[in-house]
Amino acid sequence: MTVFIIRRLLASIVLLFFISLISFFIITLTPGSPYPWGELNPKVSEDVKRVFREKFHLDKPLHEQYGFIMRDLFTGELRSIKDERPVLAKIAERLPATLALNLGALALSLSFGLLLGVYGARHAGRPPDVITSILAFVFIALPGFWVSYLLAIGLVNYGAVPILGTHTIGVTFSNGLEAFLDRWWHVMLPASILAIGGVAVQSRFIRASMIETLREDYIRTARAKGLDENAVFYRHALRNSVRPLITGIGMLLPALIGGAVIIENIFAYPGMGRLGYEAVLERDYPTLVALNFVTAALVLFGNLLADVLYAVVDPRVRLE
Amino acid sequence: MGFLTEKIRIVPRLRTLIVGIPLLLAAVTALALWTVSRVTVDKKNEMYIGSIGEPGTLNPVQAADSASGSVTGVIFNGLLKYNAGLEIVGDLAAEWDLSQRSTFFFDSAEEAILAAANLEAGVMDREELHLRRYAVEGNRLELELSLPGVDDSEKLATKFGVTPLTVRTLSVMAPKPLSDALTLFAAKESTARVVRVWSNGNLGELVFLGDDEATRERLRVWLAERFGEEGLRIEPVQGPGFLAEPVVVFRLHDDVRWHDGAPFTSRDVKFTYEAIMDDRVASPRKPDYELVLSVETPDARRVRVVYRRPFSPALESWMMSVLPAHLLAGVPPDQWPLTFNRKPVGTGPFKFAEWKTNQFVRVARNEDYFKGLPHLDGIVFRTLPDPLTLRLAFETRQVDFWSADPWAVGSFRADERFTLFTSPSNSYNYVGWNLRRPMFQDLRVRRALAHAVNIDQMIRYILYGYGTQSTGIFTPEMWFFNPRVRPLAYDPESARQLLDEAGWVPGKDGIRVKDGQRFAFTLITNNGNVIRSDIATLVQENLRAVGIEVTVEMYEWAVFLKRFVNQGEFDAVVLGWALGQGFDQFQIWHSSQAEPERLNMVGYQSKEADRLLESVREEFDRDEIIRQCGELQQLIYDDQPYLFLFVPEGTSVMWKDAFRVKRPGPDGTWIDEPVKMTKAGWSHYLEWFYRPEYATEASE
Repeated sequence: MTVFIIRRLLASIVLLFFISLISFFIITLTPGSPYPWGELNPKVSEDVKRVFREKFHLDKPLHEQYGFIMRDLFTGELRSIKDERPVLAKIAERLPATLALNLGALALSLSFGLLLGVYGARHAGRPPDVITSILAFVFIALPGFWVSYLLAIGLVNYGAVPILGTHTIGVTFSNGLEAFLDRWWHVMLPASILAIGGVAVQSRFIRASMIETLREDYIRTARAKGLDENAVFYRHALRNSVRPLITGIGMLLPALIGGAVIIENIFAYPGMGRLGYEAVLERDYPTLVALNFVTAALVLFGNLLADVLYAVVDPRVRLE
Repeated sequence: MGFLTEKIRIVPRLRTLIVGIPLLLAAVTALALWTVSRVTVDKKNEMYIGSIGEPGTLNPVQAADSASGSVTGVIFNGLLKYNAGLEIVGDLAAEWDLSQRSTFFFDSAEEAILAAANLEAGVMDREELHLRRYAVEGNRLELELSLPGVDDSEKLATKFGVTPLTVRTLSVMAPKPLSDALTLFAAKESTARVVRVWSNGNLGELVFLGDDEATRERLRVWLAERFGEEGLRIEPVQGPGFLAEPVVVFRLHDDVRWHDGAPFTSRDVKFTYEAIMDDRVASPRKPDYELVLSVETPDARRVRVVYRRPFSPALESWMMSVLPAHLLAGVPPDQWPLTFNRKPVGTGPFKFAEWKTNQFVRVARNEDYFKGLPHLDGIVFRTLPDPLTLRLAFETRQVDFWSADPWAVGSFRADERFTLFTSPSNSYNYVGWNLRRPMFQDLRVRRALAHAVNIDQMIRYILYGYGTQSTGIFTPEMWFFNPRVRPLAYDPESARQLLDEAGWVPGKDGIRVKDGQRFAFTLITNNGNVIRSDIATLVQENLRAVGIEVTVEMYEWAVFLKRFVNQGEFDAVVLGWALGQGFDQFQIWHSSQAEPERLNMVGYQSKEADRLLESVREEFDRDEIIRQCGELQQLIYDDQPYLFLFVPEGTSVMWKDAFRVKRPGPDGTWIDEPVKMTKAGWSHYLEWFYRPEYATEASE
């Protein structure tokens, strides 16, 4: 296992290098160029533009630019073009809010996905299953921004509920619990919209996997020996059907720091999505490269973690 | 047995978890919803302003976006500002004096003395020619006049009786900083002939007496030895033949302190100027100060600015916010983004308190403000990037003020609870015709296009009536606007006639044809701007009706600029200009600005317009500025390089009962009034806003 992990880590480093290279060239070869002074500002002189290009090495050939960006990224010196703050600090600043949002969404998708999936499998083919299936497809089809707007209008107009930001501004809470609940609400509202699709997908995976497992010989044996149906279902079948969940966690891990542009915008939530989106519009190359790099590293780490977890929960899987 | 009990226990536990965790999450969330729906927001004595954009930096010298501008506007002061009627008044400067220093050079000291004596004898009425004093120093005669500009000096020169030497100026641009090279050259030349060396970065100027060509050639050789021929540009500057240098002296208020308690002095002003000129700061305001020769500080309360030549937008540039030298002077500019730009210290009515990225910037009342205690405890600038939720936040009073789009304002118009502000903006929208394309080179065609487009319809359906038809390069609120320019009326019949005259006759498919070429072109604009894409659609429809085929294409902003607009690679473009209060539009219309990456992207070339653009920059006389600007506006409107569309009004709404204004009036009285729109914007009296429920505090 150790050898496997080390080998995978080494391979990841090579892979990361290529990912950073490709993402850098995709970003810089996109038409347009960084221009931090707003629309056609008649006041920006040629001198200022030249100094700006020199400062961010934009006057150099692309391969040298790549070298500068990677060097600065690893020394922590990489600065954003928009406000010249260190990119890593900008990413770190948004990390807590982003983690909260995506952990919330992850918890909701997994828990509700499991509940719906198990419920559907338990009643496979009967009306409760049909209803949850229809529900799942409706969930997959719902556009997030539309639900968000409806929810926002409803909550604000009929309940005067604060929905924007990470907490209610202008309120001093009498105790810590209320303050915590306030923050909980501001995280869970966008998280639940992010989770709608996840719930649907996870529930379908679980249901399919359960139904497949229930056809296995050892289940028939368990039933044949007269085991209680609940015991068969939850003890024997369920434990062998959670592999999709682990895949799901592995896949969702990068999303933990990746952003949700539209939802974050609607709820004025200060997450990574807005950082990336604004960086794309402004052609903020350093920020984009750093974001891509960090996300790619997390994806690779997530894949590795999922593989290791497989081996842990499923003795049939061996890592060599 | 132990094995069995474990089995029995584990089964209900898994089932409980599967049901329990989602239930728990749902229950806590429901509890949270219940809690937040009960809280009452106490905004205290603060104002909440919502905006879509996030400030980029809170350093006023570097900021270019409007979100940054509205925050730094309450934290910092300039030396001067506009009053409610858009006249220039003092801010940090208590008073200022504008004068002219004209220096004439003679062959010898004797001649200079003779010229001075003749002047003394020849000038009867010093007042009329604005002559304050004169002095002879060596071979030079220096005049000081109370009115900037060259006219009076030229009149005085006729009295000398001796012909002064001609002053020539060479402007130099080099690929590298050239201060040393220029200074050495000046020292190498006989110093009596070079009278002034000025340089800033790669730009320099050499002012000398006498022969033009030879010096120019020697300078070229000298600089080429150092920098190489490439990128070297030496050009003579047109001038009056003597040194004509405007001088502004500011006297600063005595009792101003920075938010950290340090006194505000003339050193701060000089430092701010140096920061703007420093290329490492990359200030977009640098061009405003390019003609400054020197900024001196005779004492802590006075600043003396000398310009290299007449430049009438000079005063406006000193509305620039002043930076604190005591905090920034020793810090290299590349460190500013880490410290000062996120935590600014100013002199303004509000001081910086807190910035939560992507959420809000909070400023708090400056207890020590030199114009008196602001009424509000603070202002919170919230960033709410989505227009719909911003609207919801306004409707539920989470923000008090909202700059809304015209279409959104309609629903607030009839509602008694809101105050609606409309302000004529200094911006206009246009369709620019690329004059490098043969089809747009015929003036009759451009006039026909203008007649064919229904601008009233645009104002009605795109702006919901909040706008007026544009009549050229200036907008009606500007004091030099020419109201006599008649707008071209919507008249498809004349449009057809003009097109017929120009040789474009309808073809088989209804599209006009000339010399086998169909009148078809592509109109481009950027994505994500509803007003511009609506304009493009209406133009397309209107022109179809007179037999012109328009294809509309939209590009993402960065692509739009880089690939098309900056390269001049387009047929026609929908764009808008957001202008300042100044009348200098050299960069937009002068023929020298038609190269790629410059702002005259339609390629407008007019000798007459060039002349006016150059001369108005050096004009200080108010009536003369109005005359020249009026002529320029008429000239360009007649030429129709753009189809000038409309001047939209800025629209915004505020909760009517939220604020009133109580501001110092004349003779120590207080004027208490509702929040009203001023020419300088709704927020002009922001430091005197108060919440009526805190009225007692405001009256203290």
